Amino acid sequence: MAKFMFVFRGGGYATPTQVSPTELQAHLGRWEAWTKSMMAKGLLAGAHQLSHPPTGKTVRGKGRVVTDGPFAESKDLVSGIVIVEAASAEEAAELARGCPILEHESGSVEVRPVLTSHHG
Amino acid sequence: MDALAASFFRRESAHLVAALVRLLGPSRVALAEDVVQDALVAAMHAWQLGMPEDPKAWILRVAKNRAIDVLRRERFRAESDAIDDALAPEADAENQLWVMFAVCNDALALETQVTLILRLLCGLSPNEIARAFLVDVGTIERRLHRGRARLAELGEALEVRESDVRARQGSVEQALYLVFNEGYHGSDADTPIHPAMCAEALRLVELMLGVEAIDRASCHALAALFCLHAARLGTRLDEAGVIVPLADQDRSRWDAKLIDRGVVHLGASAGGDRMTRWHLEAGIALAHARAASVAETDWPKILAYYDALIAMAPSPVLSMNRAVVIAETEGLAAGRDARIALARDPKLARYSFYWASRADVERRMGGDASVFYRRAIALAESRAERVSYERRLEESVC
Repeated sequence: MAKFMFVFRGGGYATPTQVSPTELQAHLGRWEAWTKSMMAKGLLAGAHQLSHPPTGKTVRGKGRVVTDGPFAESKDLVSGIVIVEAASAEEAAELARGCPILEHESGSVEVRPVLTSHHG
Repeated sequence: MDALAASFFRRESAHLVAALVRLLGPSRVALAEDVVQDALVAAMHAWQLGMPEDPKAWILRVAKNRAIDVLRRERFRAESDAIDDALAPEADAENQLWVMFAVCNDALALETQVTLILRLLCGLSPNEIARAFLVDVGTIERRLHRGRARLAELGEALEVRESDVRARQGSVEQALYLVFNEGYHGSDADTPIHPAMCAEALRLVELMLGVEAIDRASCHALAALFCLHAARLGTRLDEAGVIVPLADQDRSRWDAKLIDRGVVHLGASAGGDRMTRWHLEAGIALAHARAASVAETDWPKILAYYDALIAMAPSPVLSMNRAVVIAETEGLAAGRDARIALARDPKLARYSFYWASRADVERRMGGDASVFYRRAIALAESRAERVSYERRLEESVC
């Protein structure tokens, strides 16, 4: 088994005011079901949600300039990451297909193999 | 991760909107709704990979911070403590009552009152309200817009005084009755909206019992009515989401706890000096709830209640229901005649239930019911209703 990192981007509602409290909760319920199903199979190795609304700092370039907040359009904004165990990139992508962020037009899951250290 | 109660977001929406509407005043209703929506959307984003320890406190904190930002922008002065007090769970019941009585003002049309209650106190979106009432969402948006504008115009007159409570109690009850009724007769099996509307109407009428100046008898009678009908809610639709007629409902699945709660309310409602519509309707509901079968139902008692209701305020629908009862007390032929006598009523002519009831009595008498079922099918307002008639039509043809 190898490790893969899922990077979640975007995923907000285009017109959030049209979404009801019940629908928001139902969406959240599908996230819970998705992570639980991976957990039940022992495939979930870590999960980190990032702050929302997005806050933090960005340090950039040789000048090490520190600025406020992440700079990205909302569809490119990273909202969280999880680490999963999977036999192949295809298998990992199959897991990612079940992610509820994809219910949003702008939502995406980037699936990246995590390199194992050889110094170990 | 603790599982949230199924209505957590909806209830939090109602709690926070009522608090902020009261805090910010009638001219900022839309603003209050926006602040709460922002807080709920933030929770949806932040909780995707795990819930906080105390979800309620989390949402409260975010809503408070949003409120402070917005207030600063609006140059509206409110101390942090005042916001805390308004948002505190202890203030919830009073805030919701305040909004309920403020909204049920004669200056607003009844349909606007009902729409505002569903939006502000039940946490339903315009889309959900539109689906519940089988109208397009634009109609609901316009109704809400008008309602908010009217509340803003009324401004300080909105302040609910002791004397307003009694004066407006009838309007509030009428609005809650409509909320319940839409929930009960709505039949969108794919969404939890309709059962939620029934539960909310019951919750809000029980909340009214906490108001000192309230006429408790009438309030208890309405609560009894809601309990006794809600007890049958789970058997009204089958697995396919199709309406099951009373005669075919599995009575062992009626909610005994809700029936008991209804009986307690009805007992408490007897204390008043006047008989309201709710008393009579609750009496009818209880006669059904207590009966082991259609045959064992106390139809003479139900007939007396309908007669009293019609004496109070006649309506074609009441006359139609009375005609249904006549078939049980005086026989099918008398029941059929009573129905035929109503055929010229223009409202009933467009009412699917009237034609379904014509069909049912015809079928039971061995006549040709198909033409009546077809009319009921053509007029049916929901799939649940239509398919129910289609099934009976098929059975009657076979």
